[in-house]
Amino acid sequence: MKGYYGEYGGQFVAETLIGALDELEEAFKRFKKDRYARKELNDLFKNYAGRPTPLYYAKNLSDYLGCEVYLKREDLLHSGAHKLNNTLGQAILTKFMDKKRIIAETGAGQHGVATATAAALLGIECVVYMGKVDAKRQRPNLLRMRLLGADVRIVEKGSMTLKSAINEALRDWVRNVQNTHYILGSVVGPYPFPEIVAYFQSVIGKEAKRQILSQAKRLPDCVVACVGGGSNAIGIFKGFLKDDVELIGVEAGGESLELGRHSATLTEGKPGILHGALSYLLQDEFGQVAKVHSISAGLDYPGVGPEHSYLKDTGRVKYGVCFDNEALEGFKVLSRLEGIIPALESAHAVGYVVKSRDYFKGKTVVINISGRGDKDLGIIEALEGNGV
Amino acid sequence: MCKVGIYLVCDYPDRNSFLEAVKQCDGFGVDFLEIGIPFSDPTADGDTIERAALEVLEREGMDDFYDALKSAREIFNRKLYVMTYANVVYSNGIENFAKRFSFIDGVILADVPFRESKRFKDIFKKYGIGFVYFVTPETDFETLERIKASANDFIYFVSIRGTTGGEFCLDGDAINRLELLKESEQDVIIGFGIKTRNDVRKACKYADGVVIGTEAVKSLASDKLGEFLKSVID
Repeated sequence: MKGYYGEYGGQFVAETLIGALDELEEAFKRFKKDRYARKELNDLFKNYAGRPTPLYYAKNLSDYLGCEVYLKREDLLHSGAHKLNNTLGQAILTKFMDKKRIIAETGAGQHGVATATAAALLGIECVVYMGKVDAKRQRPNLLRMRLLGADVRIVEKGSMTLKSAINEALRDWVRNVQNTHYILGSVVGPYPFPEIVAYFQSVIGKEAKRQILSQAKRLPDCVVACVGGGSNAIGIFKGFLKDDVELIGVEAGGESLELGRHSATLTEGKPGILHGALSYLLQDEFGQVAKVHSISAGLDYPGVGPEHSYLKDTGRVKYGVCFDNEALEGFKVLSRLEGIIPALESAHAVGYVVKSRDYFKGKTVVINISGRGDKDLGIIEALEGNGV
Repeated sequence: MCKVGIYLVCDYPDRNSFLEAVKQCDGFGVDFLEIGIPFSDPTADGDTIERAALEVLEREGMDDFYDALKSAREIFNRKLYVMTYANVVYSNGIENFAKRFSFIDGVILADVPFRESKRFKDIFKKYGIGFVYFVTPETDFETLERIKASANDFIYFVSIRGTTGGEFCLDGDAINRLELLKESEQDVIIGFGIKTRNDVRKACKYADGVVIGTEAVKSLASDKLGEFLKSVID
């Protein structure tokens, strides 16, 4: 069925937004057929954003773990994370639709920064919604967004994290749908967002496949990526879905797997409807969305993209968890051994490989380093004082 | 003849005041009631209703809402609807929900547009519960005709682009669609943003009735629901 991945996906939004979703789908179709638009995006990828990002053979980490580790360096993309792939693409769609205003939600702030960046570049008005809790713990990104000219609106309702930011962005969109495009930052939300975001992020997997074949002369045994909403994971998995490569998505285990203390949606949730899509969801027994927790603001979300739910049910992708302390371990190991400070989100993928080193022994593993960790220094400092 | 429906948040501000409000609505001749079952992430609602819903959710759960709705059903003699969000109905099985709430007349799901409605509507129908479709000033004409042909309960016309509690107005796009809905067998009810008797009169030039939510919830919170009902009902 259109708009569905198996039984997941759909368009569970107010009737008022249906026209805008159809318009977006139409614009996306036109974009894919338009050679000049695609060239415009590719030029921006290459000359503005810094694509292709390197695939780096991490020798020290490989020696430490006893496997061959390659890092896909999305942390080196302009603005500090993979998010820019999607925002540049959707900013071009915004022009296609002749809309004059962009809105976005942000958790860790990386999608907000990437949206503000694209909006500044293309000269479009930009409003970003960010939960109060996240604005505090990811303050450097709040300041960056404001420098880039975005109007950042702090959300002081509900959980005051990514979920609340999406709620407010959806409300804004319903009110201003005639002149506004909502740049969703992950493969979540109503169709066609999961499809569009995956399309723009699939550049990660395409490059990684070409690069590993050129460097290692073979496909990897495993590809590992963290999953909050799931955009960096879908992006890199897309390159390997049809190959004999094990794909592993790593969710945030938070403090423990007790409901309310983690964000491991696919591991612990059940199907439900939130933010426009039917997908796995952390919820109580009566369908109220559960409170969630993660040390990483970008993974601190009770839902997940519908394509991930489908990939879980079909067994094509395996989903595991990495707890807060294990992510911190990954964060430190990568910093010390390779001189690469990853975002706390990406540190979940690293931490998972570190804790499961026996499983990965002797294998060739690609880890997607979806973002860099400058934004997280405040969190680390608060946890451990200045002695890091 | 202009029908007036009132929206109340279930058990807001508390059980007694809520049931008292249901009684008042019955007494004032309110034509139908929509009872909102609170959801944690009510993206179609504005501040007033969201705050009320989250406040109730802090202390109550589904079993409380069931009890409250049962009592409301006994008090209120005209049509009683549940308004909520898809996941509240979906999470434990649509059929289980429909069976449990088979005493209501209809259901309104704020985040279920026409194209996603079939799986809900078909099951509710089995239990004699109507399914309310939304039409907006942007609904395309083909969808509008399909809605007109397949509606089994009133058609909810969302007059404004926005969340509940915005400013009421009817623009050309809205009036066009309302004209097309006139020959519908089902009632057409205008909602979102209606606050005053003037709004009601204006809306009823084009529709069979109105539903008032935010203003009713506000007036109930300040203990003035009676006055408010008097002010809007002819």
